Amino acid sequence: MNTRRRTVAVGLVAAVLAVAGCRNDAPETQEGSEGVKFDVGVTQEPCPDAVDQAKGCIYLGVISDLTEGPFKALGVPVTEGQKAFWKRVNAAGGVGDYEVDVVKYTKDNKYNPQVHNEVYAEIKPNVLGLAQTLGSPPTAAILADLKASNVIAVPASWTSAWAFEDVILESGTNYCFESMNSVDYGAETLKAKSVAAVHFPGDYGDDAAAGAKIAAAANGLTFTDIPTAPGQENQGAAITKLVAAKPDVVILTTGPTEAATIVGGAAQAGFKGKFIGTSPTWNPALLKSPAAPALTALYLQSGPWGPYGTDTPGHKALRETVGEAAFRAAPSDGYTAGWVWSYPMKAALEKAVESKDLTRAGLLAAVKSLTTVDYEGMLPADAGKYGGEPNDRVFRQSLISKVDAPSPTGVAVEKNFFTGKTAAAHEFSKPCYQ
Amino acid sequence: MNDLVATVVRGLGNGSIYALLALGFVIVYKSMRVISFAQPAFMMVGGLLVSYLVLSMNFFLAVVVALLLTGLLGAGVERLALRPMIGKPVFVIAIITLGVDIVIRTVVNSFIGVDIRQMGDPWGLKQLAVGGVTIDQRHLATLVTTLVVVAALFAFYRWSRTGLAMRAASSDQEVAQAQGVSVGAVFALSWALAAMLAGLAGVFLSTGIGLEQNLWLTALKALPVIILGGLDSLGGAVVAGLAIGVVEALVGNYGGSLSPVFGGDFFLVVPYLLMLLVLLVRPYGLFGTREVERI
Repeated sequence: MNTRRRTVAVGLVAAVLAVAGCRNDAPETQEGSEGVKFDVGVTQEPCPDAVDQAKGCIYLGVISDLTEGPFKALGVPVTEGQKAFWKRVNAAGGVGDYEVDVVKYTKDNKYNPQVHNEVYAEIKPNVLGLAQTLGSPPTAAILADLKASNVIAVPASWTSAWAFEDVILESGTNYCFESMNSVDYGAETLKAKSVAAVHFPGDYGDDAAAGAKIAAAANGLTFTDIPTAPGQENQGAAITKLVAAKPDVVILTTGPTEAATIVGGAAQAGFKGKFIGTSPTWNPALLKSPAAPALTALYLQSGPWGPYGTDTPGHKALRETVGEAAFRAAPSDGYTAGWVWSYPMKAALEKAVESKDLTRAGLLAAVKSLTTVDYEGMLPADAGKYGGEPNDRVFRQSLISKVDAPSPTGVAVEKNFFTGKTAAAHEFSKPCYQ
Repeated sequence: MNDLVATVVRGLGNGSIYALLALGFVIVYKSMRVISFAQPAFMMVGGLLVSYLVLSMNFFLAVVVALLLTGLLGAGVERLALRPMIGKPVFVIAIITLGVDIVIRTVVNSFIGVDIRQMGDPWGLKQLAVGGVTIDQRHLATLVTTLVVVAALFAFYRWSRTGLAMRAASSDQEVAQAQGVSVGAVFALSWALAAMLAGLAGVFLSTGIGLEQNLWLTALKALPVIILGGLDSLGGAVVAGLAIGVVEALVGNYGGSLSPVFGGDFFLVVPYLLMLLVLLVRPYGLFGTREVERI
């Protein structure tokens, strides 16, 4: 190659590199029917299983624990609950001139942050937002990118850290406030003088334990912290410590089998205090276990919303859409959670369409402008406030359920939505467990 | 004092489960020189089968039938997935066992679903007071059953012709084959025994609250046990399993402030710390065979 040709070749390569370097990574904004702008994850072509072929499609990704991860028992019904929710929305006419698809880009994270990150990168170019991102550690793995790319995501967890993230569209109260309310309930209704928190480590158990500790101090109760690890065979020490401390109320944040091992084991050892477990501590199948009598006598459940059998228009619509047969095959309040978590996404999409901006930035702006969400009675409308400071907008109400074998998920509401005095007064300036 | 005894018995109960699991690992290792990562799957299969069989028969009969079926599955897996790989590097075979584990557990999980399946055992969460010490009946049942099974297993290895053949194959496969021992049959029997032991561990592990999908993680506790006891020592697996169970229980109860970093969960780290300490002094485990290497 002579010098002249070499110069031309180098020049061409430099030009290609320069053009590539200047390429705009931001997706191209298009305009759909009625002047609605959109960029990623929205098409004018119908959804794969469209009810109305004339409508466009909004694609939302779902990243859940679906096959072999530790939270599959939650991830599968949550995903099914969400599919049922959007099926009903589409059947009722969709969102503006669009229907919503939450099936095509459903991925399994195996509850592994690395897998979560990989499948997120895979579906990100095709989805407007995430209808579900299951698990705090996996979600933490993609949080920076969610923020950088304005991707709105619905978390399948209740940690208090989510209130501090604009792109996270959480629903209901978090573990921290829920446990504050449970301790207040224990002090006022159960006349407790002492409280213990038996909990897993991490932003699930530690968040609840932090709330319980704050509320114990506010009520002048003695507090015992009993961390424990997953696994039925690992609960012996927690039971021994609990029986020795003899608290009047125990706030439980473990998995279902660990909770049943602790409640059953403590009851066998003569423990008479009450247990209030967060919703992940419950599985209706426990009522067939040897711990059933102890659970019926000693266990209450706190929750961010009422269980599957609750009498609200939203719960009724959930039951009708999921269907008796599908629910009976695997009774779980995961269906309820998946359904409830979808309401604010629907409200935000409607607002974005109304504002004629269905781009990712437009959806983020729509989320921030939400002051109420119609949860059809499953949550008060003011639970859907997403703009402003976390301390002003965080939803502080929770409810208490009791074991009720005939109910669809084995629990029924004992005390409806309430905010305890501790939660009402708490200055929420950072995640409770930090 | 009573509290201490109760804690030790609880530790022996859990330790028995670790010992049963570890014995399975050791039996496969002795015959094939491979660590079988399929043990968690067989543990789940044993529990799952009992949970279904017990709906139509007595618990003890269900356990016997379930273990026979689990043993058959173990032998089948060896014949179909492992036998064709003889002669391949052990690393490759170990990875195949990992694949077998995932496949079987995925099938088992589809039968468990969101359920917590019950064993229908006579112990449940019931306790027994002996001389002022309150202990869980299921822990006692696990310990006694393990001791009986271990005694039978040792007698089988020591005095039966098949046991002798297994020991011969473990010592030197080519020489054993030359003496008329069917090494293939030894492999199949090893897998069947290992699967049955894991299945039994799964049943006892599920006797408290029930069998759920995450229970398989407990099987991983057998890994520090086999390293501690010695990869090729049946006695080592039993002693190390029971020791780790007891140490775990004692540290869990009394050692909460031993580590500011791990706090109350320090007991979970203890098996691995023990393993590291033993490896420093005895690289082949407490009872493992020291390999002679020519330099």
